[in-house]
Amino acid sequence: MAVWDLSVTVEDLGSDAPPVTISVTSDLHVGGVIVKLVEKTQIKRDWSDHALWWDQKQRWLLRTAWTLEKYGIHADARLVFIPQHKPLKLGLPNGITVRLRACFSNPVFQTVMGICRMLNIRHPEELSLLRPVEEKKKKKDKDLTKEIYDLTEVPLSSVSRPCLYNGMPAHFADSEKMEVIYKMLSVTQPPPAPEVITKQYRPASVVDKAHINGRWLDSSRSLMQQGIQENDRLWLRFKYYSFYDLDPKYDMVRLTQIYEQARWAILLEDIDCTEEEMMLFGALQYHISKVSQSEPQNLSSNAAMDDLDSALQCLEVKMEGESSSATDLLINVVVCFRPKRLTLKGYKQYWFKFQDTSISYFKSKEESIGEPIQQINLKGCEVAPDVNMAAQKFLIRLLIPAPEGMNEVYLRCENEQQYAQWMAGCRLASKGKSLADSSFQSEIQSIRSFLAMQKTNSGSSAAASDESINTHSLVSPRYHKKYKPKQLTPRILDAYQNVAQLSLTDALMRFLQIWQALPDFGLSYVVVRFKGSRKDEVLGIAPNRLIRIDLGVGDVVKTWRYNNMKQWNVNWDIRQVAIEFEGNVNIAFSCVTADCKIVHEFIGGYIFMSTRSREKSDTLNEELFHKLTGGHEAL
Amino acid sequence: MEDIDAMFSDLLGEMDLLTQSLEQGTVPSEPLPTIKKELNFSIGFTDLNESLHELEDNDLDALMADLVADLNATEEKLAAEIQGLDKPSLPPPDLPAKGPGALPAPSGSSPSPRNSTGSSTVTPPPASATSPLPPPPPQTTKPTKEEMEAQAKADKIKLALEKLKEAKVKKLVVKVLMNDGSSKTLMVDERQTVREVLDNLFEKTHCDCNVDWSLCETNHELQLERTFEDHENLVEPLLAWTRDSENKVLFQERKAKFEVFKNPQNFYLWKKDKKTLKDMKDKDKEILIKENFSGTSIIVPDLEGVLYLKEDSKKSWKQRLFQLRASGIYYVPKGKTKSSRDLVCFVQFDNVNVYFGKDVRNRYKAPTDFCFVLKHPQIQKESQYIKYLCCDDAWTLNLWMTGIRIAKYGALLYENFKTAEKKAASSSSWTNRSTPSSSSSSTPSPTIKAKAPSQANGHAPKLQPGPVPQDFGDLPPPPLDDFLPPPPPDPALPPQPPSLLSKPAAPQRHPPDSFPLPPLGLDSLPPPPPPPPLSDSESPPDFLPPPPPNAGFGSLPPPPAPVDSLPPPPPPAAFKGVSQSLPPPPPDPHFLPPPPPDPVFTGAGAPPPPPPPPPPAPAAATPRAAGRPAGSVKKMPPAPPKRTTPTLQGGGGGGGGDFMSELMLAMRKRTDQ
Repeated sequence: MAVWDLSVTVEDLGSDAPPVTISVTSDLHVGGVIVKLVEKTQIKRDWSDHALWWDQKQRWLLRTAWTLEKYGIHADARLVFIPQHKPLKLGLPNGITVRLRACFSNPVFQTVMGICRMLNIRHPEELSLLRPVEEKKKKKDKDLTKEIYDLTEVPLSSVSRPCLYNGMPAHFADSEKMEVIYKMLSVTQPPPAPEVITKQYRPASVVDKAHINGRWLDSSRSLMQQGIQENDRLWLRFKYYSFYDLDPKYDMVRLTQIYEQARWAILLEDIDCTEEEMMLFGALQYHISKVSQSEPQNLSSNAAMDDLDSALQCLEVKMEGESSSATDLLINVVVCFRPKRLTLKGYKQYWFKFQDTSISYFKSKEESIGEPIQQINLKGCEVAPDVNMAAQKFLIRLLIPAPEGMNEVYLRCENEQQYAQWMAGCRLASKGKSLADSSFQSEIQSIRSFLAMQKTNSGSSAAASDESINTHSLVSPRYHKKYKPKQLTPRILDAYQNVAQLSLTDALMRFLQIWQALPDFGLSYVVVRFKGSRKDEVLGIAPNRLIRIDLGVGDVVKTWRYNNMKQWNVNWDIRQVAIEFEGNVNIAFSCVTADCKIVHEFIGGYIFMSTRSREKSDTLNEELFHKLTGGHEAL
Repeated sequence: MEDIDAMFSDLLGEMDLLTQSLEQGTVPSEPLPTIKKELNFSIGFTDLNESLHELEDNDLDALMADLVADLNATEEKLAAEIQGLDKPSLPPPDLPAKGPGALPAPSGSSPSPRNSTGSSTVTPPPASATSPLPPPPPQTTKPTKEEMEAQAKADKIKLALEKLKEAKVKKLVVKVLMNDGSSKTLMVDERQTVREVLDNLFEKTHCDCNVDWSLCETNHELQLERTFEDHENLVEPLLAWTRDSENKVLFQERKAKFEVFKNPQNFYLWKKDKKTLKDMKDKDKEILIKENFSGTSIIVPDLEGVLYLKEDSKKSWKQRLFQLRASGIYYVPKGKTKSSRDLVCFVQFDNVNVYFGKDVRNRYKAPTDFCFVLKHPQIQKESQYIKYLCCDDAWTLNLWMTGIRIAKYGALLYENFKTAEKKAASSSSWTNRSTPSSSSSSTPSPTIKAKAPSQANGHAPKLQPGPVPQDFGDLPPPPLDDFLPPPPPDPALPPQPPSLLSKPAAPQRHPPDSFPLPPLGLDSLPPPPPPPPLSDSESPPDFLPPPPPNAGFGSLPPPPAPVDSLPPPPPPAAFKGVSQSLPPPPPDPHFLPPPPPDPVFTGAGAPPPPPPPPPPAPAAATPRAAGRPAGSVKKMPPAPPKRTTPTLQGGGGGGGGDFMSELMLAMRKRTDQ
């Protein structure tokens, strides 16, 4: 057989170095080419990660047993000998960039699996990579100074065998630097400064939202094939809103990153919510940031010990409840009040006493031994603050249910201290808890810290110390315009009282639950043109259904559920997706803002997600994923 | 009839006495009044007397049975608590000396589960605290004086806590209207859920137990109606009724209650055409339920539509476009879009329930008859805080009311449905099995449960040799001063508990138990007739004097032997059962004056313990058993006097405050350790 010369560029020799030329025959297999090549370079090193890339055809020669003939390689082929893993700058859902070595030769699906293994995120099938939105030039300068966490030193071999050490993968336990990175991954970021939110790109319409989905990489092809270069920037995001088996015990990084993605989706109005919901999201963000700062993660806390502790605590509380000192804690405080109906009369001073879940008031301290003028049980009542620090106004508004309706009562406190105590007491009592409840002190604390926020917010708007958070950091820019931080504080505090007692993971989970309960949750939009229609419409792809949105009306005009779907096809020649549903319903559309492969992958991906079940959840059925999402290329 | 009335008031009197004495223990002033009030408060009657007169004979019987059952259950609980206490209290002193730290652990673990379960229903937390501490069982026969004192104190504390808890439980006599116009009267305590009351009614009515059976409340004044959710406690909403209200509780089949789980498509795919909905395959229904109720978040049907809203305090109705979201009901303000950010919150669900409004056309000139109402459960009369909304048709009304319930209760609804389904599936066998009489004896389902376990325990208790040893040590010599050193109880006892050695001791102590639990009556003991039990309960004190442990010892056969002879169940097994059921712990406890119990225990335990140094293993076993043994013992003695107990308690109660602080100290020490 004829011997001919094959020239190969070896990247490691430097960009200026001439290609290495070796003599080959057409029946030589790729493995043999590599051996010859390595011998010729005379460099001793570990070449195991290197492979041949065929530049003209944009493909990897990964099958080392295949001959050159089988690959169709002739003397004119430009081959490059390069490592399969290269550094990549990866923007995480929490906005932080890490640099790590990712696989450039396998399909992106596997690349993501590798990245997730390194970052300790389970269920990598829910994530994917997308090209970032170009940033405005001004910001670029700033970005360069932004810290990048470097993970390129992590040996790839250690990642393939994950074992936990101190609750984190062993490669994070190697050094302090690595531990810092793990903390960044698994602990939520502090609320961003309001300016950061305002400056970020916000989609203004459904069509805007659709554009982002054109950026997803193709899961069936490699990074190299999609033109991604070494050190390029990509985003890692949760793509499929179907979070399987989320367990805080194993999923701290995953949970944290889902939360971050959800938080940004809400702050940037990627998903719409009502004002009440926004306040609750704000309250949860505040609580989460507070708790995650103060609560070192005790991942290894012993469940049995917890039980015992809580049992003991419960007992103590019970007993405290019986001891008079605790019950009468607020006995000697004077406040004023007025029933609302006597508006004109203003406030009158009484001697108040707080006991169990009731308040009673007397004409004076001296008479407080006898019968009160009135006793009011606060259980089930609504408590609202009416506070103005500057004016030293500390009002507690109580809406007390009675058979005849709700009675409105105002308590006016003299100072911050008194207000915090009584407010905390009222809040607990409204939930049927007495002052002896263990949460009383923490309730007081949280009320005071909110008061502190009001104080600082009236001054500079950017102050974001531990104690005080600018409430504009917790809501979308729409509310920056609508409310001053001072006005937002009481509203967020109002929502906060319902979540203040949650643990960190419970608060994270609650945030995700409310997010998932939003009507538009889980929708990824693509602008399409339906067959037979002459105008653009929007297709919404959700975990369980497809919706058709009329851009003119802005309304959902049709819904199709996957479980009624009989089959779907892509005509790759005319780039059209055709779907058949039960009952002889057929739809077909071409895609405008995204390649039809992306839509195909979304639909197939969600069907794949729904096939996951507990029994087989251990191993990821990669083959099935590619079958469902790959299209003709996979076959 | 009059006789019955007399009996009934006697019974109530007894209960009052009991509760009073309980109250004395710790909460001097408050509890007493409350309790009385509650006892007298009956739902569906103008006053207690009337309610009693209205009772049919058989109802009365049932009610009495309930009351008796309650008493028993209370006693059992107390006994259990006390036993639990013994162990825990011991540990501190013991540990240093004996140092068998290992042993306690196992026993401790077992108790803790109990506590957790128990606490949810009946048992108070204290039990849990105690459990962790299980002291080493194998003690010398003679406990040190310190130990005994500690023990005694712990007992008292436990008892006091239990009393407190018990004293605070509200009970209502509730008249429930049946479909056929008849009615049943039940005693419901505040811990009972609607589900439990339903189960109870199933037993009484022999209905088919299908999932649609519901309890509903009607508000006469406002002409409202609402189906209680199965997880709700029944007493709480009833307490919101005004005294003179004509509100009623109905027992009816309500298709709407769980319709969403039978035909989820009608709610989640309501926009589809009728035929598609009707032809929905079961598999697709399952998928819908899974999607909406089994994920991390409960999904609320996306409802949106024009409803009529009654304007405040006017008889005019205004149309608005409303939207249901998980966070509440919103409407689209005039001239705004439907976008989420423009929605105005109309109501959130934390503080309101959803009702069906009747007769609204006449009352409020409503545009349709299909009206739902949102109000705070405590509001019972006309008020501007009640919100009325009208739908165009019955189906839309159903959609909204169900949607609101899903938003308000979330996963609980689905849990309720699954429980109801299970109940329905097992109902046939259930109904067949339970004879009317049996059911009556255990009217309140909760109580029933409690009893059942306790009974089972009853056997086990005897077995519980383990506990005995411990107790033994403590008890024998220095019966606490507080307690009655009951001198010659033995003589009295012997007669009663002839059969089992172990029993004798028990009987003395636990007489109270015996009355309540006729069934418990150990083999040997002739179970006293149910009625007598009551009287017995009061008398028990006399017997109480625990027989000297030694005596018991001698008489008693070696521990193991007794076990074998003992009735049936192996103690450990029984124990487990108990622990699960725990909530309603052993019945006996309550009555026993705390101090006395120990002595008794010892007596009871004595039999097994005879071997002074009990093997560790047994010891472990014993702790668990401890609770039961007491129970069993009690059963033996026919007629002990609950009353006496109360008095005793009263004595003990005097020191209540101290005990509390002592207990706290003890707990702290433990935690420190």
